[in-house]
Amino acid sequence: MKVRAIALNTFSGLVRNKIIILFCAGCICVLLLMLASLLTLRNMRGTQNAEMMQMAVLPLIASMMTFISGFGSLLAAWSAADAVASEMRAGTVLAVLARPVRRWEFLLGKFLGVQLMMLVFVLLMLGLNYLLAWIGGATIETTPWVLIVYPLVRYMIYSALGMLLVTVMHPIVAFCIVLVVMIGSSLVAPGNPQTFMPDWLRSGLFYVFPSSNLLSETRFLTITRATLRAALWTDHATALVYGLDYALVCFVLAAWIFHSRSLSRD
Amino acid sequence: MAAVIEFQRVTKIYRRIFSEEKLAALSDVSFETAPGQVCAFLGPNGAGKTTSISLLMGFFFPTSGQIRVFGEPPGHLRAKERIGFLPENFAFHKFLTAPNLLRFHLRLAGRNPDSAGSLIADLLAKVKLNGYENLKIGKYSRGMVQRIGIAQALLCDPQLIVLDEPTSGLDPAGRREVLQLLAQLKGQGKTIFLSSHILPEVEQIADHVIIINRGKMVRSGRLQDLLATGAQVEILADRVPPELTQSTLRGAIVEPTPAGMRVLVDTARKRETVEALWAAGCDVIAMTPLRSTLEELFLKEVDQPGGAQ
Repeated sequence: MKVRAIALNTFSGLVRNKIIILFCAGCICVLLLMLASLLTLRNMRGTQNAEMMQMAVLPLIASMMTFISGFGSLLAAWSAADAVASEMRAGTVLAVLARPVRRWEFLLGKFLGVQLMMLVFVLLMLGLNYLLAWIGGATIETTPWVLIVYPLVRYMIYSALGMLLVTVMHPIVAFCIVLVVMIGSSLVAPGNPQTFMPDWLRSGLFYVFPSSNLLSETRFLTITRATLRAALWTDHATALVYGLDYALVCFVLAAWIFHSRSLSRD
Repeated sequence: MAAVIEFQRVTKIYRRIFSEEKLAALSDVSFETAPGQVCAFLGPNGAGKTTSISLLMGFFFPTSGQIRVFGEPPGHLRAKERIGFLPENFAFHKFLTAPNLLRFHLRLAGRNPDSAGSLIADLLAKVKLNGYENLKIGKYSRGMVQRIGIAQALLCDPQLIVLDEPTSGLDPAGRREVLQLLAQLKGQGKTIFLSSHILPEVEQIADHVIIINRGKMVRSGRLQDLLATGAQVEILADRVPPELTQSTLRGAIVEPTPAGMRVLVDTARKRETVEALWAAGCDVIAMTPLRSTLEELFLKEVDQPGGAQ
């Protein structure tokens, strides 16, 4: 009951958070700009190279969704960091923790509140996927649960990471570190052709950074009827358990640090 | 009866990360608060009051010493279940209305808010916030925020109420109402631990006073004992003949006032002085033992050069 109350309160606070609203407005503007190229493609379908255009629609949607999904990771990290930091800044954490609430329960409530917001974001993203496919005249062949669960697990990782960092540092610094981790994880991902990084560093970072490519739902978006094959459930399970494990480790570390830190109005 | 709050040789030292710099916010502070007592925790700015309250609530951890609240370590759920707390410069989730905030705090206390409609209405009426149920807290004035803070502190019928500057931001009428409320709670046998800068108000309700300065406890005791100096009495007399002067009344200070002649004399000489006044044909209107005020006591303690270093 306590955790649920904190989660719902966090969710209510996040959807009213001006920075997050501004963040989302910026994302929508970029999306509308990208939509122009999709509409151009749709327009060209009626002409001589319709078949080729048809094949180009899904990768374009995938790239648009990569952008939105990447934005979602940042949103998850920022929301988690800000959800904790804003309570410290305003001093509301003192009133909450004066109640019979354990510190980890407070963090868990914050975490679940962020996940609730990210669930709404993922559902909107899912709707957008189908809308873009319809606009482009293509069909999304992959199953919807993949497009819901994969991004959610990835957002769990980034929000847990943001929460862990904000227990010891300013939310902006925490956010910047998450951004670096995001970029780093895509650089060290297998198949990335970059060469400036020595192998030992690359493999080291590969194990430390979250493997967001493994949890990318956009790789399922480019599947067409021709390339469709049933993914083994063990592949899904391994990827999702990896993500949940990473998020759990970050959350437990955050709870451990938060348990012994002094709480005051920052 | 077991003490509600126990501080035993508590020291809190703030250390900067990556630095040798240390700041002792509290040094070897010990005190106890008995059940049903109103304990005023006083000190100038930076004396360590908020640090002590944060330690008491389990927000900070002592460097050394032991703290017990209802016999439990600070921050323990069993202790927190019995505490109502109002932090200094209280802040709330601004998007909530007052009833929603109280419902949220009821949920945090593990209680069902659905059956607490009348409790919430009563509390809002008690702090004079009825009529503002639909206004978001973000639109509240400073005084209104303080009132809702007091309401949430009283929400679950706590046995110990910890108030850090409860009257800050309130107008004189609001301060008087809060004092009346505290007096009412005192009458109900609640233990109240409060810090305040408004000493005449504290004097009206406190039973016990603790004064700290620069992290050290400089005075502690029952308010009556601390204020009743007992050294002098004030005698008010009328129809004093002109020949009765200060030299006639040995050791007394005589000064005219609109109500009559005011004679200040050592307690040891009060009988001798009164008899001298009667013998001279004066009417003795009143005789009052002189008490210093809490403010005088406070200033004396915190202004002492070298005191509490």
